Amino acid sequence: MTADAITIQGLVKSYGALKAVDGIDLAVAEGDFVAFLGPNGAGKTTTINAITGLSNFQSGSVRVFGMDVVADYRRTRPLIGLCPQEFNFDPFLSIHKLLVYQAGYFGVAPAEASHRAQELLRYFRLGEKRNIDFRKLSGGMKRRLLLCRALVHDPKILILDEPTAGADLELKYRIWDFLTDLNRKGKTIFLTTHYMEEAERLANKVTIIHRGKIIHQGDKATLLGNQTLEQKYLELTKGAGEES
Amino acid sequence: MIKNWIGLKTLVRREILRFFVVFSQTLIPPLISSALFIFVFGFSIGRNLRLEVAGVSYLQFLVPGLVMMHLIESPYANTSSSLFMSRWHNMIQELLLSPLSYFEMVLGLLAGGVVRGLLVGTGVYAVSLGFTQFSFYNPWIVLYFFVVVTVIFSCLGLLVGLWAEGFEKLSVWSTFVITPLIYFGGVFHTLDMVPAPLRIVTKLNPIFYLVNGLRYGMIGVSDTNIAFSMILAATLAIFLFLAVETLFRRGYKLRS
Repeated sequence: MTADAITIQGLVKSYGALKAVDGIDLAVAEGDFVAFLGPNGAGKTTTINAITGLSNFQSGSVRVFGMDVVADYRRTRPLIGLCPQEFNFDPFLSIHKLLVYQAGYFGVAPAEASHRAQELLRYFRLGEKRNIDFRKLSGGMKRRLLLCRALVHDPKILILDEPTAGADLELKYRIWDFLTDLNRKGKTIFLTTHYMEEAERLANKVTIIHRGKIIHQGDKATLLGNQTLEQKYLELTKGAGEES
Repeated sequence: MIKNWIGLKTLVRREILRFFVVFSQTLIPPLISSALFIFVFGFSIGRNLRLEVAGVSYLQFLVPGLVMMHLIESPYANTSSSLFMSRWHNMIQELLLSPLSYFEMVLGLLAGGVVRGLLVGTGVYAVSLGFTQFSFYNPWIVLYFFVVVTVIFSCLGLLVGLWAEGFEKLSVWSTFVITPLIYFGGVFHTLDMVPAPLRIVTKLNPIFYLVNGLRYGMIGVSDTNIAFSMILAATLAIFLFLAVETLFRRGYKLRS
C-alpha cells in the first residue's frame, strides 16, 4: 500500500487564544486535484503553512508521502512546490536568476536549473522579461512567476494559494489549462481559492474548512449531486456557522 | 553534516551577489573612511605629534585597529540587513521551503558577511599601504582573526536580523552597542593611554581582545595575552553560530 501524498492527523495550531486550526484530519491521495475551500480566516493558509513547514504547530502530525514534515523535512520539502498569495520575490535578482537560484536551493545543478527556468518562463510567456527584476512585471506576470518558482524544482505536490487572484480572463484560462495538464501528468494539486467556478472546474475532490474544522471532505461529484459547488458551499458553511 | 552542497553554494553566491550589486554602498565607503582616518589621525596628526606607541609609529599602531573596525562593521551590516530584508519582504520563504538544513542556511547566510568582511578588511589594509608599509609579524594570526572575527559579527548580525521588527531596531545595536565597544576597544589607543577606571571597563570589552589579537599578528604589539584573545574569539564564534542555528531550527521569528 502506498502512502497518501498528504496526511494530516489531529492538527492543532493556535495563535494565542485563537485556534486557527482545531484538530483537523485530512488525506490527499497521490494524483488528486483537491480544492481546499473556506471563508477568510477559516484556517486554509495555516494548514498550507503546516504542510510546507512555514508554520510550527502545537499538536498533530503532517506527513508527505508517509514522511513527517518536521522530522524528515529534508526529504519532504523537495516534494512540495508552494505558490503563495503574495509576491515575495528577491528584488536583487532578474526573474531568470531568481528561478535558477530557487532551483539551486533544491539541489538542482546550475545548467539544469537554467534550462528549467527558461522553459517555464517561455511557457508562461515571460521569456522576453527574463533579465528584468520582478518589480517591473505586471500583476498577472508576477502571478505567473509565482507558478514558475513553485515548479522549478519539479515537485510531486503543487500547493496553490489563490493562484488566479487578480489574473485577467485569458491568463486565468491559461493557468487552468496548465494545472489540468499538470494534474493529468500525475502531479497532486492542492488548491485554495475563493472562486467556486475555478474549484468546480478543476478539482476532483473538495475539502471545506470552517472556523478551523473540516466540515466536508470527499469526491466533488458525490458532494454536488445536482447542485453547483457555490450552492453546496454556502449550504455547508452556513449550516456549520449556525451549529457553532 | 552538509548534504545539499548545490543549495549551499547557491545561497553563498546569492549572498555575495547581494552586496556586490550595491558595491558603491557596501565596499567603497569603508575604504574612503579608512583612508581619511589614516590620513588625518595617523599620517597628519600622528606624524606631527611625533607620537610613539609601544615602540611603533602611531600610524602603524592605528592600521590594525581600523582593519578590525571594518572586520566588525561590514559583516554585521551585511548579515543583519540581508536577513532582516528577507524577513521584511517575506523572501525568507524561499529558503524555508527548501531542503537546506538549518545548519546550511546559517552557513550560507553568514558566508556573505564573511566574504564582505574579508574584502573590506583586506581593502583597508591595502589603503594603509599608501601611507605606511610593514610586514606582518605573524600572518597566520592575522588570517585567524580575519576569519574568526568576521564569523562572530556575521552571526551577531544574523541574531539582530532575526530579532529586529523594524528598521529602527536594526540600527539600535550598531549605534548603541557595537560602535561604542569598537571606539573603547583599543582601536585608537593602548590600555595605558586611558584613565585607570576606564582600564577595567576596557578589559571587560571583548572587542579589546580582538583588536589586540589582530594588532599582535600585524605588528607584534598587544595589550592582551594572544592565546587568551584567540581562545575568546573562537569561543564567541562557536557560541554565536550555535545560538543562530538553534533559533533557525526553532523557527524564531521565521515560522508563524
